[in-house]
Formats: sequence, C-alpha cells, structure tokens
Amino acid sequence: MSDQTSKRHTSMNGQPQGLLARLSKELVRLPGIGQKTAQRLAFHLMKVDTEEALRLAEAIREVKEKVSFCTQCRNIAEGSLCAVCLDPKRDVTTILVVEEPSTLHAIEQSRAHRGLYHVLYGALSPLDGIGPSDIRTQDLEERVKQGGIKEVIVATNPTIEGEATAIYLTKRLKPMGVKVSRIAYGIPVGMDIEYADEVTLLKSIEGRRDLG
Amino acid sequence: MSLLKTQAVILRSHRWGDADRIVTFFSLQFGKIRGVARGARRLKSRYSGVLEPFGVVELTLFQKTPDSLGTISQIDLVSSCKAIREDLRVMTAAARMVRIVEFITADRDPNHQVYWTLVQSLEMLGPDADLPLTALLFQIHVLGHTGFKPQIEQCTECGKPIGEDPLWFSPRLGGIVCTGCGRNGIGRIILLSKGSAAFMEQARRLPLSCLPRLRAAGRVRIEVTEAVESYFEAVAGKGLPEFEIWASS
Repeated sequence: MSDQTSKRHTSMNGQPQGLLARLSKELVRLPGIGQKTAQRLAFHLMKVDTEEALRLAEAIREVKEKVSFCTQCRNIAEGSLCAVCLDPKRDVTTILVVEEPSTLHAIEQSRAHRGLYHVLYGALSPLDGIGPSDIRTQDLEERVKQGGIKEVIVATNPTIEGEATAIYLTKRLKPMGVKVSRIAYGIPVGMDIEYADEVTLLKSIEGRRDLG
Repeated sequence: MSLLKTQAVILRSHRWGDADRIVTFFSLQFGKIRGVARGARRLKSRYSGVLEPFGVVELTLFQKTPDSLGTISQIDLVSSCKAIREDLRVMTAAARMVRIVEFITADRDPNHQVYWTLVQSLEMLGPDADLPLTALLFQIHVLGHTGFKPQIEQCTECGKPIGEDPLWFSPRLGGIVCTGCGRNGIGRIILLSKGSAAFMEQARRLPLSCLPRLRAAGRVRIEVTEAVESYFEAVAGKGLPEFEIWASS
C-alpha cells in the first residue's frame, strides 16, 4: 500500500477516517482492546495481504455460522453435539459441572476427567439476585432424571457464587440418587504453605485425606 | 497520596480485567471505599481466599487521591464468617445486609454504628436463626443510624398526633400519615396496625444484642416487612435480594 493511500485514511492528527475508523470502532468493542490497540490492529489489517485479512474475516464468519452449543451439555459445538459428547470412549456415568466453557477447556487439557460435562453459563448469586432459573441448572436436572448418571462432580469456582451453586445442586440432585461431589480445595502445587491465606488453609485442613 | 489502614467488611468483590478483582469495603475509619487487588484471581495470589464478600479484614489501601480507586497493598482476614458460606438462606440474609449498607451509605462517609451493627449482625447469622426477621431488624437499625429513621410518632405530612385513626405508612414520606393526608395524593400508602408501629419502634430502640429475643408473626410481620421494604426502596432506589429465590431448594 502506498503512502498516499495511507494518508487518505488518516486525518491530520493520525486518527483513522472513514472505513478504517469503522473497523477500528468494531475492534474496540472486543474485550481487552482499547482505542490505541484497535487503531494499531486496524492499520495492521490494512497493511497485510488481502488474502490474510480475508482469512480472518472468513474465520469469524464461519464461527458465527457453524459454531453453536451442544444440545446435551451446552459446551461449544460444531453440530448438535460437542466433541466430548460424541466421543464413544467417555465415561457416560459421570458429569462434571462447570460455570463456563473456558473452565471445561482447562480441565480437558489436564486430562483429569474422562467423563461428560455440563456447562451452567454462570453461577447462582444471592448477592446479585441470580437464581436457578437464570442459569442452566434445569437442563442438568433433566439429564440426571433421564437416568444412567452415577456421579455429578461440581467444579464451580471456590467463590461465594460457586459455593452457592454447589449447595443448590447438592440439594436438588442428591434426592435423585446420584453421588454429588465437589472438587478439592487447598494449597496449589509448588506453593509455600506459609504464604497461603487463612481460608485456603482452613479448607485444605478440613479436606485432608488419609495417606498410604 | 495516602495509605489507609483500617478494619473493614467486604461488601462486594467482582472480576476486573484478566486476573484482578475490584473490592468494595465498608470500613470503620473511612466508610465505603473501593480497591483493586492486582492478580487476585491468579492461582498463587496471596489475596485469593481473603477477598470474598462478608469477610471482616484488616486492610491497607494505597490511594493517590481521595477520589481514585485504591490499590490493596495488604489484607488480613479477621473473620471469614464461615457459617454464611454453608447455607443458601443464610447467604441470602447476609447478602441483604451487605446490600443495605452498600446502597444506603455514601462513599468515604464513616459511620461506626453502622459498621459495628453490620459486623455483629453477620456474626449472629446461622441456619437456626429466623433469617428474614434478622435481616429486617438489621434494616430498621441501619435506617435509624443513617438518618432515615421511619417517623411513627406523628403524621409525617401535617405533624398531627396520631389518635385512634387507622395508621397509614407512606414509603415516599418515610413515616406514618393520618387518614386525611393519606387521601391527598402522596403516592402509595400501606395500612399499618398499632402493633406493627409499636414493633418498629421497639426494634429501633432495642440494642442489637437483644434483637434475637424479638418475635413477629402474622399480620405484624407482613405489615412491617412491607412498610420497611417499600421505604428502603424509596430511599435507595433499588430492591434487595429475596429469600423466595431459593424456594425450590
């Protein structure tokens, strides 16, 4: 791109103009992108090959058109079911409950869980008035009611909201005859115990386990 | 630039950016203040377990200017109010209490009475307590301590002593009105029995430690709840978390 073309798209003070300003305005709406970064990205996209820029546009379009939510667990899926629900090697008797798909992704990377998942898209919050009807708890109850589930592992965050969700799910699911468990709390691996806060220490001592 | 050192109750804690938290405190020395805890959501943060709502903490906050968002430089837990985290209804009662203080107090306006009322009330909460009543009594006390005491001795509009007439409570005016004034377009009015008015007055006057002995049932409870809730909403412009949300659990 020539310097002359570049000048046509910028004002005297270097601010993008016209179509470039529109691109910048769209980019600034993304999380973590400020005005300056949006401008830098817009100028970068203008400078790269047309093919490269269109590849990005095409990827965004395809995600929006083809990616949806799994009808069973509400994970991100490219069809009616996600890759986890379609995997025949999974333990279908265990469901691990998470707040967001990003948590599911982190647990999948650790390979610590070989069962199925359920994404709630949020957590109950007595402080903000977020109740059971505001998140995907009803879908989970329906899945458990259908039968075949032996254990539900609640892996919500160890915050007030996550705790509220765990208490609520335990009350709802236990009477259905399934085992409801909560992921462990405690000292992170590699940390010095003396630097742990009081609540973490208390929880880790309460949740201690037998050795040998 | 200043370093604020105080004891405080955590009213609210929410995510900020990639790994930070913004925490709202009601402090003993400086009233309602906010601070950012950098990196608090990272696994090895020294703040991670201390920044949850309802906790009582010893706080050191660095502020460049009185109006700016401070940075939390040191925080130690005094009491985590562990019992609150183990029951949804107890959590809702505690949520109502911290919301009442958050909504009704102004930034940097210390109020020792409100602070100690909040600390003691959070400690009193437990699954065996009458939680809606405990939260209601707290609300009446805090309204009194912040200059919003409901007027129940005489008509709030004309000042006439209340005789044998039926009592009406006006949430907009924040007190009782006589039948005559109640008809004069002062907005919504709520019928209040003499027993309910007496209960409100007693709840306000009794020290906090005696409040668990107060009982309210039937009509008195319904009327006082409606009057205080409506008045609070008129003052704060916001409603409070409801116990009914957990009715199915």
